[in-house]
Amino acid sequence: MTVRPVEGLIDELVAEAKPVAPLASPGRRALLWLAAIGALAGLAIYFFSDFDQLLLRYSGREMVLAFEITAMLATGVLANLGAFASSIPGASKRWLAAPLPSFALWLILSGIGCYNLAKTGSAEVEFGESAECLLFIVAASAALCVPLIWRLSRARPIDPLPVAALGGLGIAALSALILMFFHPFTVTFLDLAVHLLAIMIVIAAMTLVGRRTLAGAA
Amino acid sequence: MESAGVDRWGDLLAAAQTGDAAAYRRFLTEILPFIRALASRRAGSDAGVDDIVQDTLITVHRIRHTYQPGRPVKPWLAAIATRRTIDALRRQGRVARREVSDELAYETYADPEANKEEAEDSSRSLKRMTDDLSPGQKEAIILVKLKQLSLAEASAVSGQSVAALKVNIHRAIKKMRAMLAKGTTE
Repeated sequence: MTVRPVEGLIDELVAEAKPVAPLASPGRRALLWLAAIGALAGLAIYFFSDFDQLLLRYSGREMVLAFEITAMLATGVLANLGAFASSIPGASKRWLAAPLPSFALWLILSGIGCYNLAKTGSAEVEFGESAECLLFIVAASAALCVPLIWRLSRARPIDPLPVAALGGLGIAALSALILMFFHPFTVTFLDLAVHLLAIMIVIAAMTLVGRRTLAGAA
Repeated sequence: MESAGVDRWGDLLAAAQTGDAAAYRRFLTEILPFIRALASRRAGSDAGVDDIVQDTLITVHRIRHTYQPGRPVKPWLAAIATRRTIDALRRQGRVARREVSDELAYETYADPEANKEEAEDSSRSLKRMTDDLSPGQKEAIILVKLKQLSLAEASAVSGQSVAALKVNIHRAIKKMRAMLAKGTTE
């Protein structure tokens, strides 16, 4: 059904067109966003975390710690970059897969650490502490998702699903990274599973809520 | 040749972003064949292509600030047209699953020719009524009541929030009822 001739529509669009400021590049917008998170996280870690205890926990495994942090950071950064890039029409679909290798590396490194811990028999399984990790990741992600959705909505994404999913992975990964500095005990398989569950919860929630909100903003 | 044309589209859109109405009109007019061809190819037929073209133009208008001057405009434009085509195909699929077509149900008389005059009158009356609505109300009525989009879809197409759409539809219907009561559509 043709509601109005296309020429009439063009007349209307031209008549109501006002000057608009082009949006900054997705990379620049993402880096500003990441810098803001980095500054806040840096302050929180500097003032409230016990960095010495973290080094103690990873004593003799400093390289593993460095790789693990790098993989988590890469996952968070790439997923956030992907979310901003995907919010613009015509973005490469490769952004969807960009954070996956580092995410896999992060899980593998954590899994190896857990395995070594289980082998030495020094792992104590306490679900209560794991539940706190879940709460931390979910709460930190919830706090980050509000400004992230607001930033992403500036582009009024025409396909909000990948934007929301990548954004969810990005903030969950960064929340898990921040958690590392406040984690008072060595990660066991149960912790790792809980961390993964928390990340899945954040991605699912962001996909549901963020997608709707971004579609509404579009 | 095509590349030069596409570069010109980028220049025109960049000028449109600064408020150059003539450049904007040229841009929207020149991209029509490209959008139409892409929509036809993706949809597999010409049916409904006019609606897709209009939806695409509205989306281009709404998110024209996301085009970065100097960047290729064609991938940006193609992504918008493709997305709107997919949305239209999904909508058609949903309607086809839920609704049964009964051509006779729309007719007043058994002879279709006998209904033409009345249909034209109705169309004119509806146009007069929608012309008196504000742009937001008109858009809301067209998308939700005439095109039968869901509120979320209409929101995505128009840029109005779901709440704004509801308010605009409510006010538009109220205004149209008042017009009908006064007989101003005659």
